[in-house]
Amino acid sequence: MARAMVVAPPAQAPGFTSQRARARRITDKLATAVLWTAASTVVALLLLFIGYLFVQGWSAISWHFLTANPESANAGGGIGPEIFNSFYVLILTLLFTLPIAVLAGVYLQEYAGIGRFRDIVEFSAESLATVPSIVMGLFGLIVFVSLFHWHFSAIGGALTLTLLNLPALMRVTQEALAGVPATYREASMGLGATKWQTVLRAILPSAIGPLTTGVVLVSGRIFGETAALIFTAGASVSYGASAYDFNPFHTAETLAVHLYSTQREALVPDATQIANGSALVLLVMVLVFNVTARVVGSQLTKRFTGKAS
Amino acid sequence: MVEQQDIKALALRNKMKIEDLNVYYGAFHAMKHANLDVPDRHVMALIGPSGCGKSTFLRALNRMHDLTPGARVTGNVSLDGNDIYAAGIDPVTVRHRIGMVFQRPNPFPKTIFENVVYGPRIHGENNGKRLAEICEKSLRAAALWDEAKDRLHKSALDMSGGQQQRLCIARVLAVNPEVILMDEPASALDPIATSKIEDLIGELKRDYTVIIVTHSMQQAARISDFTTFFLLGDLIEVGTTSDIFTRPTDKRTEDYITGRYG
Repeated sequence: MARAMVVAPPAQAPGFTSQRARARRITDKLATAVLWTAASTVVALLLLFIGYLFVQGWSAISWHFLTANPESANAGGGIGPEIFNSFYVLILTLLFTLPIAVLAGVYLQEYAGIGRFRDIVEFSAESLATVPSIVMGLFGLIVFVSLFHWHFSAIGGALTLTLLNLPALMRVTQEALAGVPATYREASMGLGATKWQTVLRAILPSAIGPLTTGVVLVSGRIFGETAALIFTAGASVSYGASAYDFNPFHTAETLAVHLYSTQREALVPDATQIANGSALVLLVMVLVFNVTARVVGSQLTKRFTGKAS
Repeated sequence: MVEQQDIKALALRNKMKIEDLNVYYGAFHAMKHANLDVPDRHVMALIGPSGCGKSTFLRALNRMHDLTPGARVTGNVSLDGNDIYAAGIDPVTVRHRIGMVFQRPNPFPKTIFENVVYGPRIHGENNGKRLAEICEKSLRAAALWDEAKDRLHKSALDMSGGQQQRLCIARVLAVNPEVILMDEPASALDPIATSKIEDLIGELKRDYTVIIVTHSMQQAARISDFTTFFLLGDLIEVGTTSDIFTRPTDKRTEDYITGRYG
């Protein structure tokens, strides 16, 4: 076919300057421009969004705002305990989620092969992943708050978030493992390693970078989760001895929930300003998570594999 | 099978004996009723055109097919008279005694030292001094010590392809196997690296039985004592390398040797 074309070119051979060639070149340039614009829109929207929040929220930010307790009726309340609670609930959630997610991911990717059980687990994970977070929040309300009589608590919130994020973290583990070249498995098994030794010594160390990146990215989402926490961790900070409260059975309003409740029902006169400041802090935190994910992931990959990626 | 008689006349001790070996990938019959005796401490080359089953055959010899979903092996493969597919035999111990070097160098993304001692470590050696000894001995045996000794704790991935492949050989030697299987170990390497690997194989046969798949007939002729020819999943014939290359008994072998197959 190709040879025939060379031997007998079409009667109207498209020259370099023909009308048609020029039209095609213009179309091509136009397409490139449209695609570039679409891609740039994503960046522009992000910058616009960040810029807007900075303009709105910057004046609210002060050391006092970042560390003080919230006020219930007067102006000048801070968000210190909320920042603390956000991290505390996040850590509790990871404590519950990571072991299950990583072990399940390792099982599915390295042990399960192709079969019915794997299908069932993956289908369950996908179904769990499609449950809206507000529904998961109501489930947490029924089970942890009412049935277990825990009332609003950090642990109830963390367990609800566990249900919500387990599928994502399992998927993260599976994908990190899938990225490990099959040759490492062959090499390890070929040296007489058992499957478990291979997973532990050859595969997981090679997957640690992408795994960490994925975990930190999911952490950013957990950090910003709101709907699932309003009815489980509660919309007020602890009434214990200190608002910075490590007791997991005490109520623990996170920053994202605070943003919601301040805007919605707060009596304080400076509610709007507090909400703007909270939104800015929340956004910056989540951005920090995203940047950290990239940096730490590639550092770990370098450390564990001796390879710059 | 006249040639096989000639090998027997040499009165060599058999290291491995393969009887009626069949390998299936799903419904595909990839290796059919193969029989082969592998003499101890010699180099056996497996040759044949692409898709002839030589790699399939090789991977059956240390139960690597166990790792391939859908692959099934029947027949007997024995090492020193013991069937490695017998019930109750742990494939992990089989692979400990029968090591494998793969087509593409596949060092772990770890340091040179950690690559070499990976096997000893998983088999329970934790003594640092002992591991260092094993590392040096294995790297020397793989003709890599002089190039590697000053960078033992640098990443193995920074080495050249040829060095990486010799590292993979050192890694296999470190677990002290009796048989080393090599699946086209030089096919991804340049001519200089290839000749180093070939020299190394010549050294290795003093202590190990080497079975090597190669797509290069020149390589088989240079390095092997015996050659087996495969075609379309059949083991066609086996003989001393000089016999196979100068007076093959089977027409198909002759056609291949003289270049009538790709």
